[in-house]
Amino acid sequence: MPARTILFLTLWMAGTGLIPAQDKPYAGAACARPVDDFFKDDVWGKVGSQKCLTCHQKGGDAEESQFILKDIAKLTGEAKETAHRQNRNAFATMAERKHKDQSRLLLKVVGELDHGGDAVLKADSEAYKILAKFVGRVNAPAPAPAIDPKAPPFFEGVSMAEPRKLLRRATLSLAGRLPTEAELKTVERDGASALPAILDAVMTEDAFYDRLREGFNDIFLTLGIDGNADASVLSYEHFEKTRLWYQKYDLSHIKDENARRQAGYKLANDYRKALLGEPMKLIEHIVRNDRPFTEIVTADYIMVSPYSARGYGVFDQLKDQFKNPDDPFEYLPVKLKALKGRSKENHQDSATGDYPHAGLLAQFQYLARYPTTETNRNRLRARMYYQHFLGIDVLELAARVSDAAAAQAKFKVPTMEAAECVVCHRTLDPVAGLFQDYWRFDSNFALYGKRKGGWFTDMFAAGFEGEELPKPERWRALQWLGERTAKDPRFAVAMVEHAWYLLSGRKALLPPKDLDDPLFAAKYRAYREQRKTIEAIAGKFSQSHFNFKLVLKEWIASDFYRVDGLATELKDPKRRAELDDLGIVRLLAPEQLERKVGAVFGAKWNRLDGEMAKLYGGIDSQEVTERAADPSGAMGAIQRILSNDVACRNVAKDFARPAKERMLFAGVEPGDLPDVDEKKIRAAIVHLHERILGRHDQPDSAEVDRTFKLFAGIVADAKEQKGLDKRESYYCRPERDTPGANEKAADPHYTIRAWRAVVTYLLRRPEFLYE
Amino acid sequence: MRRDFLKLCGFAGLGFAVPFVHPKTASAAPKDEPYAGPYYVVFNASGGWDTTYLMDPKGVNEINRLYKEGDILTKGAHKYAPTAKTAKGGMSNEDFYAKYGSELFAFNGLDYSVNNHSPGARYMATGKLDSLAYPTFAALVAACRGPDCPLAFLTFGNYSNTGNLVAMSRVPYLPSLQKIANADAVEGNLRAPYHDPFALDRIEQALKESQDARNRTPRLPREERGESMLYAAQVNSKALARVTQYIPKSVPKERMAQQAEIALASFKAGVCVSANLTIGQFDSHANNDADQMKLIPEFLAGIDYFLRRAEELKIREQLVVVVQSEMGRTPMYNSGNGKDHWSIGSILFLGPKIRGNRVLGATDDKQFAVPFDPKSLALDKDKGIRVRPEHVHEALREYAGIAEHAMAKKFPLGVAEKERLTNFWG
Repeated sequence: MPARTILFLTLWMAGTGLIPAQDKPYAGAACARPVDDFFKDDVWGKVGSQKCLTCHQKGGDAEESQFILKDIAKLTGEAKETAHRQNRNAFATMAERKHKDQSRLLLKVVGELDHGGDAVLKADSEAYKILAKFVGRVNAPAPAPAIDPKAPPFFEGVSMAEPRKLLRRATLSLAGRLPTEAELKTVERDGASALPAILDAVMTEDAFYDRLREGFNDIFLTLGIDGNADASVLSYEHFEKTRLWYQKYDLSHIKDENARRQAGYKLANDYRKALLGEPMKLIEHIVRNDRPFTEIVTADYIMVSPYSARGYGVFDQLKDQFKNPDDPFEYLPVKLKALKGRSKENHQDSATGDYPHAGLLAQFQYLARYPTTETNRNRLRARMYYQHFLGIDVLELAARVSDAAAAQAKFKVPTMEAAECVVCHRTLDPVAGLFQDYWRFDSNFALYGKRKGGWFTDMFAAGFEGEELPKPERWRALQWLGERTAKDPRFAVAMVEHAWYLLSGRKALLPPKDLDDPLFAAKYRAYREQRKTIEAIAGKFSQSHFNFKLVLKEWIASDFYRVDGLATELKDPKRRAELDDLGIVRLLAPEQLERKVGAVFGAKWNRLDGEMAKLYGGIDSQEVTERAADPSGAMGAIQRILSNDVACRNVAKDFARPAKERMLFAGVEPGDLPDVDEKKIRAAIVHLHERILGRHDQPDSAEVDRTFKLFAGIVADAKEQKGLDKRESYYCRPERDTPGANEKAADPHYTIRAWRAVVTYLLRRPEFLYE
Repeated sequence: MRRDFLKLCGFAGLGFAVPFVHPKTASAAPKDEPYAGPYYVVFNASGGWDTTYLMDPKGVNEINRLYKEGDILTKGAHKYAPTAKTAKGGMSNEDFYAKYGSELFAFNGLDYSVNNHSPGARYMATGKLDSLAYPTFAALVAACRGPDCPLAFLTFGNYSNTGNLVAMSRVPYLPSLQKIANADAVEGNLRAPYHDPFALDRIEQALKESQDARNRTPRLPREERGESMLYAAQVNSKALARVTQYIPKSVPKERMAQQAEIALASFKAGVCVSANLTIGQFDSHANNDADQMKLIPEFLAGIDYFLRRAEELKIREQLVVVVQSEMGRTPMYNSGNGKDHWSIGSILFLGPKIRGNRVLGATDDKQFAVPFDPKSLALDKDKGIRVRPEHVHEALREYAGIAEHAMAKKFPLGVAEKERLTNFWG
């Protein structure tokens, strides 16, 4: 639509009162006027984006029509507002056009006037009513507010975590530790305003980077590369002479044959682990050094360790830069040279002589994790690119067609000719084409390699979002893609969504689809509220030169992260639906639970690994790629084992320490009995509640009453029992096989075992097992 | 005390996941005994099977290179492709149909509607294409029928969304169940309990009181759901002790047999309602015939193993079996020896009150779906409908007796009455 028409339409609408009543008069340029909420929420949110956009956009089935829309899903700021304006103008134009006194818009959507998409709405549907209302407004302006003016503020009635609790949540989440006394004092003194500085410090800790890598691997899954990394990541074609360096490594100084063999195994394992770790180490390097997070798609380097550097054949040039050249896991950034194949035809093109690094995009690990096939033609890589870096899953909500088989059979090249296919492939295939020089299926042999006879001509040409890849750029096609990705407003939004996933364990909300759902409006509001926060953080992220730490801090400061409960009962189903996704309430993953045990008790449990981790809902980054969100019975059993065992390991052990050194029972002794020392025991319970559960209970609170009752009840029960051992259970005695163990195990009043029961009880509580 | 816990967890596992279900309704029938069936098992041929090499043989129009139309075999009402000479291991169609043909119900000409793996798998598993929130049938039936089972919904892969109705259980290795079966004893040794019985009772009582108190407190929906599922998981996990007696001494090597043993032990112990078994690599773009002739026999052998072991465990009569894939293969070979994605396929059923020796629906000689009358169950090129996953899922929900369950209604499939498959199960 020509700009002049847009200007005219906008001026006309303003002049005819189309500006909704609830909007303040707009005093700026007409074509920059904000779009009303009714259009955004209802016409666009419920109809345009769901029913029209698929075909009526550039590249869509109806791209030749006069009704062209823009996808605003991942846009932010002014770009989004501009797209909204364009979409509203397009709708308004169609709304005012008539056919025999009836709106063409309303006729088209029910399949009349030769609508190419046939009927997309029923005349009695909610969506049709929205369009009818819009048409009415355009033609006889009497706008109704889109959002119920009586609706309470979104977070009304929702309680927020107070600063101490928020701090504990953040330090456990980011660094797997409890807040320090100094940090607690600071937030007690300064409130939430102290948090950003504390978080800045937390985000310098190594534990934070462990969590960062773990969290991003949940997204990129690069640890899930098939096969041994020394073969899958470093190909025979290009690293034939260096990739198996460990096989020739001199271990002759180890005289014992068995020990030498074991050392060899360890060398190989560490090397493979170092190779697998490189992609997430790149993310760590970017965040740790406050580099623009766009480097995950633009970095002109990779991270290598002394071990992986040997695999690439660059160890000698780097060895002096490593602090410890024998540390398999010390990483440094390095630029590789363009690949040299065993034969000339497999030499890599390069105008500079360097490998065209492009952050994760051109990393061998990423390419090996998402390999191509003859028929897939790099489309998996293109799909993952969109999902990982622009936040769009092209296959998530595939449109249904009336007869996909017929459409497929009708055309010689359906992906270029059948509208149902073209709508996605016009976007996907050009990006697949950008990966064209990584055209080898056997990554063990090679990842880099050109297709004989050139790239496919029955695919849309290599490019990105309508821009074709210039031929001279082909050798650096992924760099070309990375540069465009970094400038794409969807990148910032996608990264903010990743950060939410990292913090909450779940994806950002998608807009509801079912207009006839009576709770649609409530669900849509929930989506929009969260979306507003995402967009706001994305805006700040862009302005901060893509500092990822800022994103985490912004999320932690947001209402969505701080939500801590409900002040009043939810009775209205609509309000309930609005708040359905609110609150972190995240079942801790095996790794997180281990860290939490370590933080509270000073030592991890160390049993939630391997099979047990999988049983506890963990992932292997390969077959199982999504963590369990809810506990199964098997996980419930593991929680019981953990609570029993961790209490068993730690209670008597803590009592055996000098009082000042105790973590759990600093103010109480085994000789303190409920009927005599209730005050001390309640104080100890308050301490345990705080340490294990993060609760700040008063000594006379119902919660403390319940725990006290548990303790006192067990001690009383024990008195009634005959033949009970006067010592702690053998398995739970500290240093049970050392001299003096029996004395340390003395438990004449059964109080140590009662405290163990208390700790077991607390470890089974949601406050401990959830975040 | 356990009965009290189960009364609570009877709704704990599901009630709060579905806000409009009154807890009393959902907790009306708490169970303190093993779940006794029916047991639902969904076998997935992940990647897209070639139905013309199994239950919908063609042999014409160069659809199949391994046999001609005249080679097609029959068993009662079933027509099937011959594979005895071409199968690489596993179980041939001949043997499979000879053994199960009288019980099998096949539907051909199912319109998967899409030909991409991810949406196809989602659509076939849930009956809903355009939502990421819907539960799979296996999860839904588990939530409706046995929310208090510790492993109510077992999955070994494929699309496994639960709609937040029930927890998903992954058990990677059968012996791992042994390790967690007796959680209150050191290393599972019942002679070495962590706590004396009176102390353990006190712990459980305190947890119950804590949960009761939380139930009386205003909570966010996520808190309600998380807390109630957690409580149910811990309490119900005690039933896992029943599984150990059914864990076989040796673990089979075959991948489907391994999954089968875990599911069967869980069924037999009454701790599981449904299981989602899967094997992959059916995506035969490169070498269709070789791949399908390896995988279909392996798949059938896995189903056979499952049914045979179920017979030995005396739960065969309680098994409801669904055999499916997320898409079919094209009616032509691509430029290589492969076949690409095709949005038309088939599905197989077997179970109590499913009349076997039946084939409904059809594809034509070019492997297009023939429209189908959902009422007369006959082909009707003019007035028939295209049978899609939601039609099958609606019928499955009715078959399982959960179509009117509040949780099923929370996830409507939107099938109009006139399109509902009537007397589908015979």
